[in-house]
Amino acid sequence: MAGSILITLALAFSIFSMVMYYLTYRGAKNTLTIARMSYHAMAIFVIMASAFLMYLIITHQYQYEYVYSYSSDDLPFGYLLATFWAGQQGSFMLWLFVTVLIGVFLQSYTGKRDDLEPRVMMVFSLATTFLLAMVSPMLKNPFAYIWAEPMFIETVKINASYLTQPFMQNFMFNDPNSGQTFVKMSGDLYATLQGAGISVNQFIAHGKGLNPLLQNFWMQIHPPILFTGFAMTTVPFSFAMAALIKNDYKDWVRQSFPWILAGSGILGLGIMLGGYWAYGVLGWGGYWAWDPVENASLVPWLISVAGIHTMIVQRKTQSKGGMGKFVKTNLLLSILAYVMVLYSTFLTRSGVLGDASVHSFVDPGTIVYLFLIIFVGTFLLFGIGMIFYRWRYLESQIVNEENLLARELALFTAAVTIGASALIVAVGTSAPIFKQSVETRFYNEMHVPLAIIIGFLNGFSLLLKWRQTSGEDILKKSKFSLIATGVFAVLIILFGKVYDIMMILLTVSAAFAFFVNAEIAYKIFTGNKKMLGAYIAHIGISLFILGVVGSSAYSKQVEVDLTKGKPVQVLGHTLEFTGYNPIENNTKYEFNVSVRDGGGKPSVIKPIMFVSTFNNSLMREPDILEGFTKDFYISPLSYDDGTSAAKSPQGNAVTLMPDEKTSIEGAQLTYADFIKPDMSVMMSGGNFQMGAKLIVTKNGKSETIEALMKKEGQGVTFIPVELKDADLRVELTKIDPTTKKAEFVVGKLSATAAVTTLPAEVLAVNASTKPFISLVWIGVAVMVIGFFVSMYRRLQESWT
Amino acid sequence: MKNKYIFGGVIVVVFLGMMIYLFTKSNVQYESDFGKVMSTERTIKATGSWVKEKSYEINKSERTFVFYMKDATGHEMKVIYSGTIPNNFESAKSIVVTGQYKNGNFHARDILTKCPSKYQDKQSAAASS
Repeated sequence: MAGSILITLALAFSIFSMVMYYLTYRGAKNTLTIARMSYHAMAIFVIMASAFLMYLIITHQYQYEYVYSYSSDDLPFGYLLATFWAGQQGSFMLWLFVTVLIGVFLQSYTGKRDDLEPRVMMVFSLATTFLLAMVSPMLKNPFAYIWAEPMFIETVKINASYLTQPFMQNFMFNDPNSGQTFVKMSGDLYATLQGAGISVNQFIAHGKGLNPLLQNFWMQIHPPILFTGFAMTTVPFSFAMAALIKNDYKDWVRQSFPWILAGSGILGLGIMLGGYWAYGVLGWGGYWAWDPVENASLVPWLISVAGIHTMIVQRKTQSKGGMGKFVKTNLLLSILAYVMVLYSTFLTRSGVLGDASVHSFVDPGTIVYLFLIIFVGTFLLFGIGMIFYRWRYLESQIVNEENLLARELALFTAAVTIGASALIVAVGTSAPIFKQSVETRFYNEMHVPLAIIIGFLNGFSLLLKWRQTSGEDILKKSKFSLIATGVFAVLIILFGKVYDIMMILLTVSAAFAFFVNAEIAYKIFTGNKKMLGAYIAHIGISLFILGVVGSSAYSKQVEVDLTKGKPVQVLGHTLEFTGYNPIENNTKYEFNVSVRDGGGKPSVIKPIMFVSTFNNSLMREPDILEGFTKDFYISPLSYDDGTSAAKSPQGNAVTLMPDEKTSIEGAQLTYADFIKPDMSVMMSGGNFQMGAKLIVTKNGKSETIEALMKKEGQGVTFIPVELKDADLRVELTKIDPTTKKAEFVVGKLSATAAVTTLPAEVLAVNASTKPFISLVWIGVAVMVIGFFVSMYRRLQESWT
Repeated sequence: MKNKYIFGGVIVVVFLGMMIYLFTKSNVQYESDFGKVMSTERTIKATGSWVKEKSYEINKSERTFVFYMKDATGHEMKVIYSGTIPNNFESAKSIVVTGQYKNGNFHARDILTKCPSKYQDKQSAAASS
């Protein structure tokens, strides 16, 4: 209740603050202080609500649906923190929380700069209003009580002493499919419990727990950073709208600049951490799958980065008076970046992508769906509508002068290229709305030429001067880079064995960009260091592209069975499975694999497998031998302890119903009849047998056999049938007396014999090498540093 | 000013062209009607459910998994998947297989299982009570 009240109060203050800022903008006196105070009151309520949610999670208040659904009492503190953003409601709450905090800084920033505050803050508080409405009691409220909507809870989560209460009869349900019993937690049960003097928090003893995939260090920091990046895109949007409202476009670029730089840096870091998590946890060997959830965060980032490039031009061309070049482009990109954040939210949260993604959230209901559409629609119409409204004025201000060899044009082309990338990703991600979908090669093949253009432009544009450059000048300046790139190209072809023409172009263009930027960075390093930002960021992106080429185009992978104690040569490494040991209170198993690379000392890597109680499925965690030039990646597939190999035959499993036939191992198998057990004996728990009468036909000869299951005392044995003539071994492995469905394993007798004499522990793994994947992480990290260096410079410039 | 439009325009046109071409080439449609799935050899994402009553086969040496799927109207088809049986397959409510229908069988190269997850078991339990 307290949480919902805090959210409602915050919502009221957010709306009030927005109105007061609007009145201030319209010239009302004395309203500015009220607007500021309301904003701060809203911020305090949001901080209190967030702290309260955190408190509920840490103290296991399972009467709240959110706390019950995403946490449990056995989670360590770090993962309890991660519970905050594990579900839809909480992640909206996190987004709101960081947006509101950013707003506090934005308020003080704009308050010190001319008449900026009312215009910027009224747009910004429109955004907080929508986010607050999202987590309000009407929509995705994290403070909803568990009985607000009837919910089925497994009996193991309930305090056992209450299950025997007579009134519980009415609230217990059995699911015949799974055989589990559920308690229906509804308003009626709540009232009944109240009547009996039992609190819901006592009644529900355990939470459902956190998805094991999210129980990872990176999941504690990736979402907060990513949402900070999302929230930061609200700021350039607000600045652009403020400029359109006032119809004054000279100052907004320099005022918005530090924010868009910081935002892009943070969002880029957040995206990379997500990729690093996927690489280290999901076990398919990569860091980027072009999954809708990933793409959704990439599109706004690309748009922001495109915007940064054209904003530089506007800044530079302002020096001669006027508002500068590319004003419409800058306004449009600043607006689109935030609109795309909202659109991404709509795609991943509304359920429209239900079929397309493994980890999109499931359908949240029609009201939320409609609200999300209104949310996106409002900001899209508001933003684009304002640009249209001011279009004629903006057209009349255009500066007409441009040279082919000028940096302005190169930067504009860069923005168009990055924009094209954003468009491609957005189109591919939106396809499922129209019941279409694209394969990942759509994204990959589109981005190879784009990345080549980006690499060359990246280097080339820095050789160009503003306004105009002579051809000779470029040649003179690029001497070092051209020679270095040429040498590099020869090296990668001779030693790297890169022969694909597109890949050669891609590495060469990235290397060219690297050398140009490195040379300039080296020159200015002794001078004004805060001018280094762009060059550092560009060095980062070229390293990143090199890393992507190495780790994806030149990755090798192979599936191998590792028999315990027998070294195997795999991809230039000697692997030996040395056994497994339980970890974390016997809930997980690590499989030790020693890896010897050439002659050196062996290192041990430990992929993990376990059956999760959260979703009853086998979880596999890879392990990686990391190195600068190459990672060696081992993902476990399955483990066979050898005892089952001795007992159960090797062969193929097949399920049949009576009268069904199948061909298997070169024989025809017909399930002729079900051999009935003695029902009365079976019911009383005595010894009985049942099975299937089978007709096996091979090489024209038929034989009738009985595959039986015997129950004696507590044990059940299956009796295999060996057919010497047909060289077959048939064993019943499963049979259901009600449906008569039976499962058999059929194998070659000769092969079975060989296996049974040699029981062995076998670990099947997927091994792969990832050349230069370290450059992917290093590249992004360097790029992020570049963004922040630039931000520092532009922050100082934002005053003048 | 002209240069801006020439450069930007060329890039946009070239990439729009490439995008449309690749989109149609790599486009995979979702199809829940197996009649349509079986009438074409295009790559398709077929959605349906596993026919648990029918036989299935796991071939360990060739790493294939063969089973039957049916759509909402009861059309059935045999699916041959090259790979190991996915986690959660037994409890999957619906299955999305990506592949082509050829010579009377659907050859899947990817299986996505939709499990009664924490979001859905409310409904599944409700349906049975």
